[in-house]
Amino acid sequence: MTDTQISTTGVEAEMTLLTPRQIFRKRLLSHTGFLIGAGLIATIALIALFAPLLAPHDPYAQTLSARMLPPIWAEGSNPDYLLGTDQNGRDYLSRLIYGTRVSITIGIGAACIGMLIGVTLGVLAGYFGGIVDHAISFLLTAQLALPGLLLAMALVFIIGPSIWVVIGIVGILHWTYYLVVTRSATQRIRSLDFVAAAVASGATPRQVIWHEILPNLFSQIIVIFTFELGIAILAESSLSFLGVGIQPPTPSWGLMIAEGKQAMFYRPWLVVLPGICLFLLVIGANLMGDGLRDITSPEGRNE
Amino acid sequence: MLKYIALRGLLAVLVAFTVSLAAFLLLNVATDPAYAIAGEDATPDVVETIRARYGLNRPLPVRYFDWLGGVLTGDFGESYYWHKPVAELVADRADETLKLAFSAMFVTILIAIPLGALAALNPNSWIDRMALGVAVSAQAVPNFWLGLIMIILFGVMFPILPVSGDDTWRHFVLPAFVLGASSVPAVMRLTRTGLIEVMGADYIRTARAKGFRGWPLLRRHALRNALLPVISVLAVQLGQKFGGSVITESIFAINGLGRLALESILGADIPTVQMLIFVFAIVFVAMNLLADILNAAIDPRIRIG
Amino acid sequence: MTKNMMRLTSMVSAIALTCMTTPAFADRSNDTLRAAMAEEILNLDYNYTTKREYIILAQLTDATLFDIDPETQQVMPSVATGYEFVDETTLDVTLRDDVQFHDGTLLTAEDVAYTFNWIASGESESNANGVLARWLDNVEVIDGQTVRFHLTSIYPLVLRDLANRIMLRKAGTYTVDGQIDRDAMSSDLIGTGPYRVVSFEPGTELVLERFDGFFGDAPEIQNIVVRNIPDVGTQQAEMMSGGIDWMFKVPLDLAQSLGATPLATHLSGADLRVGFIVLDAAGHTDPDGPLTNVLVRRAINHALNTEEMAQYLIGGSAEAIHTACHPAQFGCDQSSTAYEYNPERARELLAEAGYPDGFPLEFWAYRDKPAAEAVAADLEAVGIDVDLRYVKLESLNQARAARDIPAYFGTWGSGGTADTAAIARIHFSESDRNLSGDAELQDLILSAEQTNDQDERLSIYSEAIGTIADEAYWAPLFSYSANYLTSPDLNFPLDPDGLPRLQNSSWK
Repeated sequence: MTDTQISTTGVEAEMTLLTPRQIFRKRLLSHTGFLIGAGLIATIALIALFAPLLAPHDPYAQTLSARMLPPIWAEGSNPDYLLGTDQNGRDYLSRLIYGTRVSITIGIGAACIGMLIGVTLGVLAGYFGGIVDHAISFLLTAQLALPGLLLAMALVFIIGPSIWVVIGIVGILHWTYYLVVTRSATQRIRSLDFVAAAVASGATPRQVIWHEILPNLFSQIIVIFTFELGIAILAESSLSFLGVGIQPPTPSWGLMIAEGKQAMFYRPWLVVLPGICLFLLVIGANLMGDGLRDITSPEGRNE
Repeated sequence: MLKYIALRGLLAVLVAFTVSLAAFLLLNVATDPAYAIAGEDATPDVVETIRARYGLNRPLPVRYFDWLGGVLTGDFGESYYWHKPVAELVADRADETLKLAFSAMFVTILIAIPLGALAALNPNSWIDRMALGVAVSAQAVPNFWLGLIMIILFGVMFPILPVSGDDTWRHFVLPAFVLGASSVPAVMRLTRTGLIEVMGADYIRTARAKGFRGWPLLRRHALRNALLPVISVLAVQLGQKFGGSVITESIFAINGLGRLALESILGADIPTVQMLIFVFAIVFVAMNLLADILNAAIDPRIRIG
Repeated sequence: MTKNMMRLTSMVSAIALTCMTTPAFADRSNDTLRAAMAEEILNLDYNYTTKREYIILAQLTDATLFDIDPETQQVMPSVATGYEFVDETTLDVTLRDDVQFHDGTLLTAEDVAYTFNWIASGESESNANGVLARWLDNVEVIDGQTVRFHLTSIYPLVLRDLANRIMLRKAGTYTVDGQIDRDAMSSDLIGTGPYRVVSFEPGTELVLERFDGFFGDAPEIQNIVVRNIPDVGTQQAEMMSGGIDWMFKVPLDLAQSLGATPLATHLSGADLRVGFIVLDAAGHTDPDGPLTNVLVRRAINHALNTEEMAQYLIGGSAEAIHTACHPAQFGCDQSSTAYEYNPERARELLAEAGYPDGFPLEFWAYRDKPAAEAVAADLEAVGIDVDLRYVKLESLNQARAARDIPAYFGTWGSGGTADTAAIARIHFSESDRNLSGDAELQDLILSAEQTNDQDERLSIYSEAIGTIADEAYWAPLFSYSANYLTSPDLNFPLDPDGLPRLQNSSWK
């Protein structure tokens, strides 16, 4: 399959000649929403990666005598601090830049933990059904009914504050979407002929799950993962806003909003700026998720 | 069917007890109410006195079973702070939360369904894209941040609506918008997909052939069928509104259950937290049950039980 | 975003607009002072509460046997006209004959004796029980106008405790229909103070009215309404729209910003509260840990830029301190060792102590997050790897009681008592706050409460404060300032002990 071949065939024929992977890539590249989302995520990821090069100041370095400076466009600003300073005289821009690291790490980490828990339980419930299914559905309901705030407060206190604890908490709080989807998908796949054939030929449940079921769930899991990325980032920011997530002085956007809240009538940028950062990152993840879903299951577009 | 409902009801109660036990344990490891009641300059003897007065010096299992025994006789205990029965406290605060939850649902319906319907009538048009844009944006805005932005806007720049309190219906406009906005994406998308699907159905084609177009077609034939699944989703969303009320009520200073929950959790008022979690769990399970029943009623293929 | 000034002007005009549409019904025309408090007011009986808000309210609704003059710290007569020590452990107190309760009955010696004996008894479970049980044996009625206090031991602060903690109640108050009722006065309070309770909705609103039968000077303002507004932002909005006249515990930035507008006046007064870091010198968390080394503790003292913290983060009249007590407190000798801000010296000391690369330190805090972060940043700057644990007060107290805290940022208000005893005893004798592990120091501090000789007490505290400084058991940080926002109409005098006395307010 070469470029000359493609250029000489019609579009329909071209699609049939491409491997599924190539079709997938082609669809992705023609999906505007996905491209915008991916662009946003890539930009923010690059900012996170090169934060030490981009940040004009150390995000933890305080100058108490230069606290609460306004951003460059407002009166009384200091050109050294483009977006002003926070309540401890730390450079706001640098803290926003380093905040990308916190959000992305927690987003990915928590979405992974949620995936591990949710997919494991979902596949088990879908494959075995019966009492296993009931037990897992009980667990699901109980988890949904327990306030995340309470769990977070207790765990942060017992284990101590660190980004890893917050990842764990957010992950534990966000596995239900994976569970619901993988459970019903597993039920469906299980009833298909090739699984029945594998079972008939003596395959253990473990083999069936690993070789027949999980590979078929892959694309759905990736879609959920992308959405959960955004959800986890929002969850971290809410917990940090309430004071039970990321602990000071680590720059977390949610925490920065909480710190700026007190003075928001006089210094609205303290609240507005981190919120915009959060919005851009989460909308990036959601657009990517939408795109991936449209492409992996075109019939379910925009659902 | 009845058996199914009874079973789910049992599950709800089981969940409520499990969750309240978890909450009891978590709260007891993380905080000590005696210190919270005593305040920051409390001397050890004051803390000891308080611990004795509230029975906090008894072992955990004794305290839990004491609480459990009370609940089984309908007594949820007394709040450490408010010095009155928790049940009374919760009953007092419930109406504000109900008002908020329902007005938020109203906002959701008001925005999401017309937008979804317009998008479905004009698939792939600019309206459709705009609706999608609204959905994607609403999903990406942190709820607490939206609340603060509303307060900045309406508290300072356009002071036409009150930004805190719960005295009049006007106090509920902003919080209902903030809380309602979070459900817009799901409901709008579902309305749109449902309508597009229904519009492709044979009987709509027949209606179209008979000359029905636009709004009359929508109203007389499509909307009803497309909206049934939306209603079941609304039920689930309503259940979640109670949980979502925690941050919204706190930001807008509404004296409802959500704010009570936040304050009780942060202030270690264990009996109040216990009952609130119990109530939230039951409401949550009930709303999901309602959604299941609606789904079964809509789609005979779904057999429940 | 527009420019700073423009926003402020637009805000001010916006507020002016709201004021025009909804005229604030209120303040001086009704002779009503409306105060906001964030802490929920749930119980009006100070014999059963502790927090600062309740002290402020008790000043309005109750009177005590004596008063402490906030200027001179002298004991002044109040319900009592005078006192006489019969011997070192027997005290006679004579009472006024015209003290009225809010229900019109006259206060008798029986009422006074009942109040003290009840609170000193274990079954009262009163928050004030600990204070009295320490020194009071019993109170005896001598005649209609005299009561006799029998002390269990010599106790130099007896008059202070009589002035601060115990609110007088009618005989039999806490026994209703033969049953003990500790909530008897929690809402329908019958006190002897300058204001009486008109209505009280716990957690929402308290309405007070000047009590015409009050024996002392009548306050100027007729009515005081205390509203519970938990969120400081909401309080601010109410202040801007003229809905409240007084708010306290205002964060510095907010006080300065709003105080700069014509809508409110920013007042900043002294406060006896001090902030400090307590270090686990005893080694409860790690018997051989770095904090057991005095050089490390001195290094920490050198590492902190307390002057800047006081000036920029606390503001007002706050100042850096170097003693384990407030400079205004009796016995707080300022000649003890002061460790100047010198990060270089701190690094040298750490190296000398065997920690040239610093060490990991868990540092706990529960309030003033910016100050806690500033401390953490200063310690990081000399190489100490700080893990800041910013938690709720009750979580910190719980962890401290379990001896799990190596270092914490504590504060102490001394209950408004300008005497080193009020801070030293709890922090350096039997208490989980004492992380010094110094038994000699404990004996020394307790010995100051075994004598009535003020000069001897002075020298004991001087020695104790000196030891604490030399051993660097603490890293003292700063004194606080009390920030208030008041309506421009209100005249609210500030006292040097930092306790707000709403009863002294008047209209301009």
